[in-house]
Amino acid sequence: MPQLFTNKRLIILLGSIIILVAMIGFSLRDRDNITWPEKFVKDVTGFGQNIVSKPADAVESFFEDVRRLRNTYEENEKLRTHLQKLAQLESDVARLKKDNAELRKVLEKQKSLADYEPVQATVIARNPDRWYELITIDQGESNGIEPDMAVLTSDGLVGKVKSTSKFTSTVQLLSAHDSQNRVSAVIQGTSAVHGLIEGYDKEKKMLQMTKIPSDAKVKKGQAVTTSGLGGVFPKGLIIGKVMELVPDEFGLTQTALVKPAATFYDLEHVMVSKREMTKVLPEEENRQQVLIEEEGL
Amino acid sequence: MKKGILPLLMIGLFYSDSLFMAFFPENAFQGTYIPVPRFFLMGLLFMAAFFNRNSAIKYGFLFGFLFDMFYTGLLGAYMFFLPLIVFMSSKLTKWLHNTLPVFLIIVLFDLVALEMLIYGLNVLVQRTEFSFEEFAYVRLLPTLILNALFYIVFSIPLRKAFLKIKSIFD
Repeated sequence: MPQLFTNKRLIILLGSIIILVAMIGFSLRDRDNITWPEKFVKDVTGFGQNIVSKPADAVESFFEDVRRLRNTYEENEKLRTHLQKLAQLESDVARLKKDNAELRKVLEKQKSLADYEPVQATVIARNPDRWYELITIDQGESNGIEPDMAVLTSDGLVGKVKSTSKFTSTVQLLSAHDSQNRVSAVIQGTSAVHGLIEGYDKEKKMLQMTKIPSDAKVKKGQAVTTSGLGGVFPKGLIIGKVMELVPDEFGLTQTALVKPAATFYDLEHVMVSKREMTKVLPEEENRQQVLIEEEGL
Repeated sequence: MKKGILPLLMIGLFYSDSLFMAFFPENAFQGTYIPVPRFFLMGLLFMAAFFNRNSAIKYGFLFGFLFDMFYTGLLGAYMFFLPLIVFMSSKLTKWLHNTLPVFLIIVLFDLVALEMLIYGLNVLVQRTEFSFEEFAYVRLLPTLILNALFYIVFSIPLRKAFLKIKSIFD
């Protein structure tokens, strides 16, 4: 029988196992953003991906249009009834916006946590091995996108930016299994109830909102939005609706199951929200300064 | 000049995985099954069997590296596993006769090996909460079925392509 592993092969195998472990360790580290060689490779690969996915997108949307054409009439009827309400709503919004701006001027508080500037992006790829719920979009640092920004569709929040390169960014969806994937959220009722969106129930297809005080009264169907207190996300992005409330294992807090407003499947166009108000953490180079000052106190 | 066909074919196969994901409705079967396209790996295995093993290993290394960086962000996994699978498969093809039906079994075996390796790695780094049974039903079986279908449709053109490339290089 021929020998399966010669000496040379064994050395290659062992060497590459060491490299594998080192690289995995490196990529699992808690890091702000990827390194520049990774960014470069991502941009080059993303360029090719763009060339491939744009025509594919066009073909797909053509078939989608044909499919939609079939229920145009019913849709039209439905929309017409909405339209009548819309005129009233529009004038209300315009009036309220003006009011809001004037009152803010009186208070001398120009910026709010809710202000954000949306950046339109197209999904160019979804991770084909489907383990980590990652999608790649065609906007990157050159359009001002940074890690941890909120990503939403017209229906609601879908995820946050995980890493960026010059022309692409990778987005981690809320449905991903990652303990670092937390969003500060608030349940809107007569009084706001704060909690954290943390984890996804795959069987029920619902998000878990934890750390809700045990005495908080939450009703089914109440809307859940981002609170803007997490530091990067703007305030008031829709996440979903409360469906069920269960006490946690120690009975100190409650966990709400939230039905997401947006679907995490077949995303095509998303928006990345650039929050206008300053972030909680100061810039990287100033951080050291803050720590020193805190120690002095 | 004609030698450029090989990298072009491999680049095409590399993007075909994500292209398939763009067309495939992710919510099919109410999202209970997760079939994973592994067309690039299949191309690599054909390359190893009908063209040249060592260049298949090199391609696996290079494109595995791209795959890790661009799609998964977990560096090293595919870069290391793809060449390993190609090497394993080339040993198997030496012992078995290289007809297309037999090669299907080898390809399926390789797919199982790759999926298990990746699953094991994900359990190790705690990026998944699938139990093994869940993994087998939700991911492994649908993946095998999807790729077997791909094999049935594309095995003859792929073999032809690699034999042709071989004649160009010789």
